Amino acid sequence: MNKDENISEEQLNAFLDGELESEEISCVFDKAEQSAELDQRLCRQRKLKELVKHAYRDVPQPKRLSPVRRMPNSLLGMSLVASVLLVLGAAAGLFMHGFMDRDSLPGGFSAADNTQAAIVAENYILHVASGDPQQMKRALQMAKALLSSAKPGVARQVEVVANEQGLDLLRSDVSNFTNEISYLASENVVFYACSKTIQRLEEKGVVVKLVPEAIPGYTALDRVVLRMNDGWEYIKI
Amino acid sequence: MAYKKLLIISQRRAFRRLVANNRDRLYRMAFAWTGDPQLADDLVQQTLLKALSNQKQLRDFAAAEGWLFRILANCLTDYRRAKREFLSGDNLELVDKVTPEKWLKEEELVQKVRQAVQRLAINHRQVVTLVDLEEFSYASVAQILDIPVGTVMSRLCRGRRALREELLDNRSHETLTPAINIKRIK
Repeated sequence: MNKDENISEEQLNAFLDGELESEEISCVFDKAEQSAELDQRLCRQRKLKELVKHAYRDVPQPKRLSPVRRMPNSLLGMSLVASVLLVLGAAAGLFMHGFMDRDSLPGGFSAADNTQAAIVAENYILHVASGDPQQMKRALQMAKALLSSAKPGVARQVEVVANEQGLDLLRSDVSNFTNEISYLASENVVFYACSKTIQRLEEKGVVVKLVPEAIPGYTALDRVVLRMNDGWEYIKI
Repeated sequence: MAYKKLLIISQRRAFRRLVANNRDRLYRMAFAWTGDPQLADDLVQQTLLKALSNQKQLRDFAAAEGWLFRILANCLTDYRRAKREFLSGDNLELVDKVTPEKWLKEEELVQKVRQAVQRLAINHRQVVTLVDLEEFSYASVAQILDIPVGTVMSRLCRGRRALREELLDNRSHETLTPAINIKRIK
């Protein structure tokens, strides 16, 4: 008969996992002092716990597509033009900064004040994950409504990010909304196609053709988190 | 009105911090459950996007970590239902397809333990990894997996017993003990 037979495996685990009260802990220590077998069981169980921890200390990272590799040439050209415009805009902004009164911004907020700028900006990222055409239609209607409801003088930005079945919205060969997307893009709504969803479809042998307005390269999560960090409002459709 | 907006912004910031702080931990757990980096990454994306869209449900930020892991567990359950996949790991191949001769002893050990974990039933695997990797209390694990604490204890017991038999009982001590070469301690 084992000396430690009255210490169950559950109790041993609870001891190692810090789930016992101090009185019970003392009891296990006392019994381990008297029983080499129990002491050994404790050591082995501790070793096992450490082995599991050790095995997952560094885990392999998933392969992610690089945004540049997936960007079509036309979009690359557009992004270069956009970069040039951005630099010009920044230079103009710096030039104008000296002439602008703080009160000239709505609400008297400074753009340097992140908290208050977020209130002024009122930008939105809409997330479509559903393959239901009604939901897709709703997303596009909401994007349009958000643009038209912006306060005068406020440049509202709206992005639509599509993933999972929602990616169909931005697939040129299956989308029923190519005209609407084209119109909204002309109104500066930006469309992002989730790179992870594209990757999964391609792994299954699906050739993914996107509407020309869709930008691949970000995962839906990365784009949403990026925009939330910029103070944008996130809306799941 | 301005106060309400500031409150919303402050909540959003807190939530973004929550996402940023837990993404790697969720990924590690998803990888431990699935053994597949791509699937793990997909599950974490689903988890965080679900969390973002349901953030109003989160009343107490102190409980946020458990809440995120619970969503992850639900995402895995949904995935398994959809795929009719049980992630038993019986046919598991080593993640890095490097020939055994080229393994360093350290890598060999890691792979052996991961394989053993993958061979556990998913219910046991989830409990063992939540307790050992994240050091969640039994009560927290019970909440995350929506099971009684007693079930947590029995699954933990069975899972560890299976691991012990595979990793410690059936193999020589030397195989699982790499040469000790301590470089630094915390």
